[in-house]
Amino acid sequence: MTGEAIPSPHKGEGKGEGSSTRVYRRPVPAGWWARRSHYFWYIVREFTALPMALWLLWLLIDIRSAAVRPVNFHPQTSIAFVAFSVVCLAFALYHSFTFLSLAGVIIHVKVLDRPVPSRLIVLSQFALWAVASIVIGFVLIWFAR
Amino acid sequence: MAPKKITIQAARFDPEHDERPRMQSYEIPFSDDSMVVLDGLNYIKAHVDGSLSYRWSCRMGICGSCGMMVNGTPKLTCNAFLRDYWPRPVVVEPLNNFPVIRDLVIDMDDFMHKLQSVKPWIIRKEEMPLGAAEHIQTTSQIDDFRQFSQCINCMLCYAACPVYGLNNEFLGPAATALARRYNLDSRDQGLKQRLPVIASSEGIWECSFVGECSVVCPKGVDPAKAIQQTKLDTTMRFVLPYGNRDPEPPRQLEAEEA
Repeated sequence: MTGEAIPSPHKGEGKGEGSSTRVYRRPVPAGWWARRSHYFWYIVREFTALPMALWLLWLLIDIRSAAVRPVNFHPQTSIAFVAFSVVCLAFALYHSFTFLSLAGVIIHVKVLDRPVPSRLIVLSQFALWAVASIVIGFVLIWFAR
Repeated sequence: MAPKKITIQAARFDPEHDERPRMQSYEIPFSDDSMVVLDGLNYIKAHVDGSLSYRWSCRMGICGSCGMMVNGTPKLTCNAFLRDYWPRPVVVEPLNNFPVIRDLVIDMDDFMHKLQSVKPWIIRKEEMPLGAAEHIQTTSQIDDFRQFSQCINCMLCYAACPVYGLNNEFLGPAATALARRYNLDSRDQGLKQRLPVIASSEGIWECSFVGECSVVCPKGVDPAKAIQQTKLDTTMRFVLPYGNRDPEPPRQLEAEEA
């Protein structure tokens, strides 16, 4: 254990056990996130937002370039960019999965005075996600023709 | 055949002599498969080293006193069986994220202040004398908060929460779960008194949903759920035009009608 022994904040105040001369405060180690699988996947979830933000920033720049100089616009087709996009897609899917699974935890709905099972709420979220993806994909392909 | 033994490595810290905790090893008889880590500590205290300090009381997972880190995981030591660790040694340390007073005893003052700040009791706008009326509550209404009322204040969720470890100002899982327990209670009218605490930046919004608090809870309470649900409710109260109205008062059954 590493940390420091510090004077008790309640010294002399007569607040029971906290009135001892010193207490030992342990610091949270820098590698705390590697101690448990739950912590690790939490950090992965949080970290995936960064490359996704970079990809979206790139997309905004591309859209502006296409709007300002449509004749000279050449979208990125390098292997590196495609690979980066695939990685970002995987991150986005992981984010969507965790977010939609969370819906089953936080949404509390009652029908006929009985709570709707969490699984049903999660399944309905995934179904809506699939329908929305199909509709958006169809619209994009339709306009691109 | 030689009697079965198990090694317990316990953290020791004497505030008057030690700069930092040290580990001390004890080999004790492991005579019975029903022995729990707390039994091992009690054996050490009674037969090996009477100076070992730790909290315990009920031995049956009710009082929430004997929470410690067992092999790095927050556990009630009365509910952690030695058979699950044998023949490897069992490492027992004080709960993470709390100042250590002595050996395995932590300073719980911070938690007690936070618990008190959310007013975990039924608040009525107008108190009535006992027997003047009873507040009707259906089974369905009880089911709304029953899970959160199982909290025994053992603080394992605080020891598992890295957010609390990194920022002690965070209200934390158990206090929020108990605030939600009373906010969901149809007899309670204290939501507006608790909101300034739970909806502050050190309240629910500090939580980034690691979720380990719900994993380690020995009573099956889901504090992460309580926090996320409170985030949703608070946002709805802010966004929706009728969100800030008072909750509908519960029906009362006058004594003479009963």
